[in-house]
Amino acid sequence: MGPGIITSNVDNDAGGITTYSVAGAALGYKCLWIFLPMIVALVVIQEMCTRMGAVTGKGLADLVRERFGVKITFYAMVGLLLGNLGNIMSEFAGVAASMELFGVSKYISLPLAALFTWWLVLRWSYRVVERVFLAACLIYFCYIFSGYLARPQWGEVARGLVVPSFSFDSSYLVILVGLIGTTIAPWMQFYIQSAVVEKGITVKDYAYTKYDVIVGSIMVNLVAVFIVISCAATLHVQGIKVDSAQEAALALAPLAGTWASTLFAIGLLNASLFSASILPLSTAYFLCEAFGIEAGIDKSWDEAPAFYWLYTILIVVGAGVILIPKISLIAVMFWSQVINGVMLPFVLIFMLILINNKDLMGDHVNGRTFNLISWITVAVMIILTLLMVVTSLFPV
Amino acid sequence: MKHNLRHKGIRGLDKVQILGEYFFSNIHKKPIYDIEWHTIGQLRDLAVHWEGDFPKVTGIKYAKGVQSHIPIEQVNKITHRGIELKGKFSESELIPLQPDEIYMGKWLMDKQIIDLKGSKVVRVNDIKLFWVQTPERRYLVPTAVDIGLRGLARRLGVEFLFKKREHHLVWWQFIQHLEEKTASLKLTGDRSQLDQLHPADLADLIEDLDYKKRTDIIEDLDLEIAAEAFAEMELDTQLEILDHMDSRQASNLLEEMPPDEAADLLGELPEEKSAELLKLMEPEEAQEVRELMDYEEGTAGALMTPEYIALPPGLTVNEAIAKLRRLASEAETIYYLYILDENRTLSGVVSLRELLVATPVTKLQDIMRTRIIQVNVQDDVERVAELLNKYSLLAIPVVNAQEQMLGIITVDDVLEILIPDRSSLETFSNFFVSKRTMK
Repeated sequence: MGPGIITSNVDNDAGGITTYSVAGAALGYKCLWIFLPMIVALVVIQEMCTRMGAVTGKGLADLVRERFGVKITFYAMVGLLLGNLGNIMSEFAGVAASMELFGVSKYISLPLAALFTWWLVLRWSYRVVERVFLAACLIYFCYIFSGYLARPQWGEVARGLVVPSFSFDSSYLVILVGLIGTTIAPWMQFYIQSAVVEKGITVKDYAYTKYDVIVGSIMVNLVAVFIVISCAATLHVQGIKVDSAQEAALALAPLAGTWASTLFAIGLLNASLFSASILPLSTAYFLCEAFGIEAGIDKSWDEAPAFYWLYTILIVVGAGVILIPKISLIAVMFWSQVINGVMLPFVLIFMLILINNKDLMGDHVNGRTFNLISWITVAVMIILTLLMVVTSLFPV
Repeated sequence: MKHNLRHKGIRGLDKVQILGEYFFSNIHKKPIYDIEWHTIGQLRDLAVHWEGDFPKVTGIKYAKGVQSHIPIEQVNKITHRGIELKGKFSESELIPLQPDEIYMGKWLMDKQIIDLKGSKVVRVNDIKLFWVQTPERRYLVPTAVDIGLRGLARRLGVEFLFKKREHHLVWWQFIQHLEEKTASLKLTGDRSQLDQLHPADLADLIEDLDYKKRTDIIEDLDLEIAAEAFAEMELDTQLEILDHMDSRQASNLLEEMPPDEAADLLGELPEEKSAELLKLMEPEEAQEVRELMDYEEGTAGALMTPEYIALPPGLTVNEAIAKLRRLASEAETIYYLYILDENRTLSGVVSLRELLVATPVTKLQDIMRTRIIQVNVQDDVERVAELLNKYSLLAIPVVNAQEQMLGIITVDDVLEILIPDRSSLETFSNFFVSKRTMK
């Protein structure tokens, strides 16, 4: 398995599942059309990152620092830090929500989960952990069966996939931004590029990585489409809006019957823990890299104090916020993805400037099609975000 | 300070007067005024020129996109408020960037360098410059880079928060640059300073770099040092470096390595590649490596090296010492001398200590021990470790079924297997599936 497939599976995290569920329940088949252009954009953007990693041998944070200097890097990293903190919070919200389905209070599950992820990564070889989690990600394929068993109106599904629909309703726009934000999350671009660099993939053995990215992007979107279909066929038709994990779990009822909430809880718990063990560590790593501070778990606490503190604080804050009584877990998971969507164009602009730099990329600069698709994505995200803000301030 | 200036090769040291010291970020983008206080532009960058190993500022780039700069001789005063020129600004006095000059800010700021004192790869946060007056002329010289938190804060305009922190400077002579200056500026032996580092430190450093710089540095190093450092690296990194190297150079590197390690490495490469590399190696060395590659992993045969000291039994102590002198550099260890008869059968062992205390005319066969602790080529690593430990040996001979000696295994070969590096188990890279499982 290559970086593309792994990154895509990490992408199906608590925020992703929730956002797709919310979208399916609220909008039904109508929002399916967004997925086809999204696959194209995701492939293009991830391919750009892997290409940059392969050609330069450097991570995205490194390249931003070397090309744009300290100040811009600082703002970019603060953005990444806040965005990722949102994501980490959503992972812990996922842990809390899934454990509540098992009847475990979040005041017990969260401290344990925080300690578990913190300890796990520092003490264990990550390779083993990663395989376990990846295998468990197969649970999401349950949505494909569930979506099928829910007997959706396939004609509606097909129409939903190809016929675009649009609305200037602010709640519609928020869901759209969230959908794009969770699928093409900014942190993924940093992550996939590091993965390419760490694995020593270079221009020579790069062709294979292209297919890896395409397969990964299609996989993540296929699962997402079926989550939307399942939710549309079970929740949307009954007019249920997803406000709790209990309701989101109903989408699996056609497959699992009364076991639906158990199945959903296991899947969500796995996804949340998986991403919760990756995100804080990679965030701490990217930040330290960009500022030239010692980082890495092969260093001791004394050698890399900033790295370890950052890592610890991210987990403590991420889990701590979710401990606030009466916080809406679904809302945290959903809104963190909207923030991702708002941040996406900025990361893309950095990437586009870097990848079109001849000094850096030589003959591997972007072609015209890739630039066009990326700039359209940037423009669309900026317009959607602006529309979202305007329509929520001045409802139509 | 004087110590550092001496390295700049500036004569008349006693009469050197320091006019000012600056950080590049303090003067970067500051306005440039002529004698009549007209603003001419901003200090965008500094052009530097190398004299020997050390750079001097030759001119100031004063506007974006302009490739010619104001000669440094025209500068009257440098303060944190701006740069004042001696006379009026005239375009005719501008000098274009010479092929052996480079823009310092663009080349060095935010880039990675090697801090030779700390032997670490670090990022440049700022550059420290001194402005000095000698009897003949004035010089503006970069003297150190700032790699500390305070430098980072200064760039962000919040240095006051870190006033209590020391500047973390690396003086120019302890910097190893990684970025090429320009094609015409690549000085030969530019990376020679790296030779002074311990091979294990050098290995760590190289592992921290991206794949292009790794290969560059290895290719620039003295072959022997490169091989030593290379032998210290993680297997994944070694394979990656070999993969990107020119095949001829890769084969040279492998020749310099102990044959047992070269065999391990070649065993991990695709068959085609390892065959190609073996073909390029000296036939004799290649043969040794080929034989080692045939042994199964985890056996004594796969661990051993054929580079040991073998002597005939009839030699006198004096002759043996003379011979040892010649053989020592090639052997993995010289603490044990193995006495072989004409069939290469192992008949005895003499330790270096025993050799040195024996009377010069004694024959080796009279002082050698004949109760030999040895292992068979097919024995496994545990057995080797057990014997080394039980008899407190530094190395153990390996023989075949006919008692003929094939090689030795040193205690560090076994240690490497029993105690893997912590870093190889738990680096960030293990976040991602390892490269080998991917292929």
